[in-house]
Amino acid sequence: MKIVVCCKAVPGVVTEVKAEPDGRSLQYQGQFLAMNECDESALEEAIALKRAHGGDVTVLTMGPIVALDTLYMALAKGADRAIRIDAQTHDPQSASAVLAAALRKLEYDLVLTGAQSRDTLAGQVGITVAERLGIPFAYAVVEVQVAEGNAVKVRKEMGGGRYALVELSLPALLCVQTGIQPLTYVPPARMMRARQNPVRSLSLADLGLEAEQLGARGYRFLNVFPPQRTSQVEILHGGPQEIAATLLSKIKEAL
Amino acid sequence: MQRDVFVLVEHWGGRVETITYQMLAKGRELASALGGQLVALVIGHELDPVTEILRDKGMDKILAVDQPALKQAGADLQAHVIAHVAKQTDPGLVLIGYSLVGMELAPAVAAKLGSAAMTNCVAIELRDGSFVVTRPVFDSTLHAQILLEATGPAVVALQKGVIPPIQAGENTAPVESVEVDLGGIACRAKLLEIMEEPVTGIDISKADVVVSVGRGIGDKEKISIIQELADALGGVMACSRPVVDVGWLPRDRQVGASGKSVAPKVYIACGISGASQHLSGMTESQRIIAINKDANAPIFQVAHFGVVADLFDIVPTHTKSAKGKG
Ligand SMILES: Cc1cc2nc3c(=O)[nH]c(=O)nc-3n(C[C@H](O)[C@H](O)[C@H](O)COP(=O)(O)OP(=O)(O)OC[C@H]3O[C@@H](n4cnc5c(N)ncnc54)[C@H](O)[C@@H]3O)c2cc1C
Ligand SMILES: Nc1ncnc2c1ncn2[C@@H]1O[C@H](COP(=O)(O)O)[C@@H](O)[C@H]1O
Repeated sequence: MKIVVCCKAVPGVVTEVKAEPDGRSLQYQGQFLAMNECDESALEEAIALKRAHGGDVTVLTMGPIVALDTLYMALAKGADRAIRIDAQTHDPQSASAVLAAALRKLEYDLVLTGAQSRDTLAGQVGITVAERLGIPFAYAVVEVQVAEGNAVKVRKEMGGGRYALVELSLPALLCVQTGIQPLTYVPPARMMRARQNPVRSLSLADLGLEAEQLGARGYRFLNVFPPQRTSQVEILHGGPQEIAATLLSKIKEAL
Repeated sequence: MQRDVFVLVEHWGGRVETITYQMLAKGRELASALGGQLVALVIGHELDPVTEILRDKGMDKILAVDQPALKQAGADLQAHVIAHVAKQTDPGLVLIGYSLVGMELAPAVAAKLGSAAMTNCVAIELRDGSFVVTRPVFDSTLHAQILLEATGPAVVALQKGVIPPIQAGENTAPVESVEVDLGGIACRAKLLEIMEEPVTGIDISKADVVVSVGRGIGDKEKISIIQELADALGGVMACSRPVVDVGWLPRDRQVGASGKSVAPKVYIACGISGASQHLSGMTESQRIIAINKDANAPIFQVAHFGVVADLFDIVPTHTKSAKGKG
């Protein structure tokens, strides 16, 4: 089984976030880049499927040069090859157009993405890629079984503790949830070795796309601000004893 | 320009989900402002019980696509049907609840309509005839306000709990049935079965006091301090998703979109950041107390009382005082 996993490098901390003057994207300074959590789960699942059924795993990312580190980590974990598309956009429409264009150049039976990235909180790119490629998809997948007749059976969350069992014909795209596989630890020595591997780089031009095409279309960012509180929170001050006493009285009051 | 507002109805086992009534409340407000109709769109098979429950919930009409082929339809076929109806009637807005079902459908419906969906939104309003939505970004530490400029139907998915559900009214909406030709469309994602997670241990949705633990606890061994506080307060222990993902607590203790919804008298969140998928399972709690060392954690947006501190400094002391005073 040929599996492509879409993994995104996301910042752990961002500062100076503001809307670009034309409203087509958000500007910010990001630090502590790491692989998006559920993308790492998707990668672990891909590697587990490869171990059980054979095949190979390609990791695909779109991002700046600093995103290379997450690809090396993927290689260290057991991916067979890595591809970085040298472009950046947070617009789900554009991101999915770029990833879909790259996927059209690759062979795949299964495409795995994460459910949601921690910066955009959109949960859109996976499904939109599937729509662009014209392949079936499932969201919030927590279990994958290879089934008869070039298909997979997946268990996916439906909310409120309900699950659906869905059969998809291949090729298909699955948006994977955290917890599907335990995350493996990569020892520094293995990470060092992984860095020796080549990473294929694709430009937008290689994909027949232009940078001007990326960015918000059909909507515009007006501004970004810290959330306004819906309820008036009362922050309790003082030492632990004092706080504990206040909490207890607030709890008793409510019971 | 008069345009209708569509609300996608989420139903299961003949029942309508609460989030749909919330979407109908928001849809009512927007449809009235736009001078259009509020239309509830229901798709599936054997829908009579569903349309019957819905009819007095404030909409001007119900569109029902009731076909045997939809019984086992996966998301792409469902999205096809929704987009097909939307293309024919060109509403100004398709409003979808951001539940797990909505999370799967909204992007697919938007893609089929050739537009961008706005997912995970906490607000939607009309400004000079255009929709403006507010949605979290960057781990919910910030909110972005976005103006929708496209001319086609806007697809907006709104979080659970951002508006109270609509109440039944005097009027009974007519049900119009719509046929969608599904011949020639391959069903490549087939729904085989829906399973409910059995409650094996404690039912966290029944307790008056829920003490909930998040990733901030950092270590499986330390979870006992949360259990001790729950015991001292006569409550139960619950948790956020990461705690279950790593196997520290069983799945039936998880609060949130993919776990349980709880509405106890007191909910105490310890080391939980407050992502939308967590909040959607607990914002209806009567009194919310948050203990988090990050003053900017989004949990403080919904908390009534907040403690900005290390939970290890507060929780054991709290347990002692709870025990001491009985
Ligand atoms: C489709 C989907 C469904 C989901 N369903 C659910 C769901 O049902 N339930 C759910 O909970 N999540 C769900 N999630 C995940 C959700 O998006 C968040 O990732 C999750 O809720 C985060 O859990 P957390 O707050 O415990 O962890 P984090 O976000 O990592 O937050 C940990 C918090 O602990 C604080 N902290 C750290 N150390 C301490 C300390 N010593 N003292 C005090 N505070 C400390 C930190 O400041 C931080 O705010 C879902 C996600 C998706 C995409
Ligand atoms: N730049 C990117 N590179 C690789 N994968 C991405 C990128 N952006 C999004 N994805 C994938 O799409 C998923 C959903 O992203 P989003 O729609 O931004 O929440 C992520 O979990 C990734 O798997």
